[in-house]
Amino acid sequence: MFSEGEFNDQYSAEAEYSDLDEKCSRIFVKDIMEVRPVVINADDPVEKVLEVFNEKEFHTYPVVEKNGDFLGIIDQNIILQLLTHRVSRLDHTHLMAVKSLSEFARGIMIPHPVTIPPEMDLCEVAEIMIKHKVDRFCVVDKDKLVGIICKPDVIKAIYSLRG
Amino acid sequence: MEFLFQILIILLSARLLSEISERVGMPGILGEILAGILLGIAVLENTDTISSVAQLGVIFLLFIAGYKEVHIEDLKASSKKAIIATIFQILIAFIAGFGLGYYFGLGNLESLVLAVAFSPTSIGVTVKTLLDMDYLSSKPGSMMLSSAIFDDIISIFLVSIVSTMAQYNSIFSPMQFLTMIGKLMVFVGVMYFLARYVLSRLFGHVRKMHARESIFATVILVALFSAYFAEAMGLHAVIGAFVGGVMLSNIPVAKIEDVQSKVSGLAYGMLTPVFFVYIGMSVDPMSLGAAGIFTVLIVILGLLGKLVGGFAGAKTVGFNFYESLIFGAGIMPRAEVTLVTISIGREMGIIGEEIFSAVVLLSAVSIFVAPMLLKFAIQKDKENKSSASG
Repeated sequence: MFSEGEFNDQYSAEAEYSDLDEKCSRIFVKDIMEVRPVVINADDPVEKVLEVFNEKEFHTYPVVEKNGDFLGIIDQNIILQLLTHRVSRLDHTHLMAVKSLSEFARGIMIPHPVTIPPEMDLCEVAEIMIKHKVDRFCVVDKDKLVGIICKPDVIKAIYSLRG
Repeated sequence: MEFLFQILIILLSARLLSEISERVGMPGILGEILAGILLGIAVLENTDTISSVAQLGVIFLLFIAGYKEVHIEDLKASSKKAIIATIFQILIAFIAGFGLGYYFGLGNLESLVLAVAFSPTSIGVTVKTLLDMDYLSSKPGSMMLSSAIFDDIISIFLVSIVSTMAQYNSIFSPMQFLTMIGKLMVFVGVMYFLARYVLSRLFGHVRKMHARESIFATVILVALFSAYFAEAMGLHAVIGAFVGGVMLSNIPVAKIEDVQSKVSGLAYGMLTPVFFVYIGMSVDPMSLGAAGIFTVLIVILGLLGKLVGGFAGAKTVGFNFYESLIFGAGIMPRAEVTLVTISIGREMGIIGEEIFSAVVLLSAVSIFVAPMLLKFAIQKDKENKSSASG
């Protein structure tokens, strides 16, 4: 049994959450995403990719074709493996070796990562991020990269909705 | 209780010996097989339950090979030279295996299993040597990588032929062979259709499910379904699992990092070690001694088949002596697919204890010898090139 105070607290918390749900379902990825992310061109040499990671501090960069078509991502894990060759023996497969021989970004990227459309609402993005432990998504519309959205963007947006 | 103890002791000894193996610079699989041999001698007997878990292990071994490692795009980028060298090395290893069986009066099917077991390569251990010696980007190094990609596909195709023949318990007539190819094509076609039009949509819905671990569970279901479906079509489960893995490898939701890491954890943390320990437990050390010269010849011809095949293939495409030796030594190791082949052969009653145990020994020796020979060949190649330029 709930005491009256507990019941009221829970009731008000539920009301607050449902209000938040409603508010965040009216906000879309396109409203809060980074629309000009730093991108890597598929034909950029690996050396240039390393420079990008050296100069900037993002975890992941989208890889695009010249015409803006989204192809894949390169993240810090790949770069660290390339720089140190320190991968577990289990990963000493020809695929890893092919990556370490690649001269261009397209050879080292992770192809086919999960992407989201710009019209997805904030609640859904938050849910996917929590459920599937994903920290960031590239936002793709008709095969073109239109932005990138990270967990801090989602947190800030939801925090501001609390009023 | 007994099952719990068996799995506990298998996983514990596999982890310990795998770690020791890694520490001395050898792949963990060697330690896992050794754990099996020791357990087989000392404590455990193979039971139906261990064999069932090992079967799941082999299904997931090949599923994960398709799911994480095969990129069809890599095949397109591979050179014609690599195709020629691959055909040479597989053909000569295959002939060495079949010839040995034929010479010792084995049946055609038994000789064929031996030939197919000789054919695959597993370059993980030699890639490490190439990386350490900064030779991965050399001509033979990069051709080895392309060749290994083709080798995977061709070997798995050969395993599918031999495992289907094993079910009929006879060498195919041309008609049966065509039927098998037809079945394989229908299977791949149906799986392609499912991946393209059903699975990608299915995963879109699964992503939104409330049930816990829905994506991971669906990936596992696809692995089991493709293995079962292949068996239902008269192919072997491992072929189905491999094709299922390749089909999933292009579906983004199925390859979320978190899911990949869970699938890897299940496969490499639990199921595949049981398979390799099971292989070790199935080795009969007494039969190795009893078979004597036959065992020795399996090991020697198994090593030479790849070395000579690789050397000849590389020479044919214009490599010099030492470059060809590097290529030949690099593709010598046999591991996963070879062990899968002989475990199918044994499970179906085609090969006996002697061949099974001798091929496991070949696999262990090849993993041990190949890196040493490769180092020697690379040093010679370096000396040769520096004296030529100096």
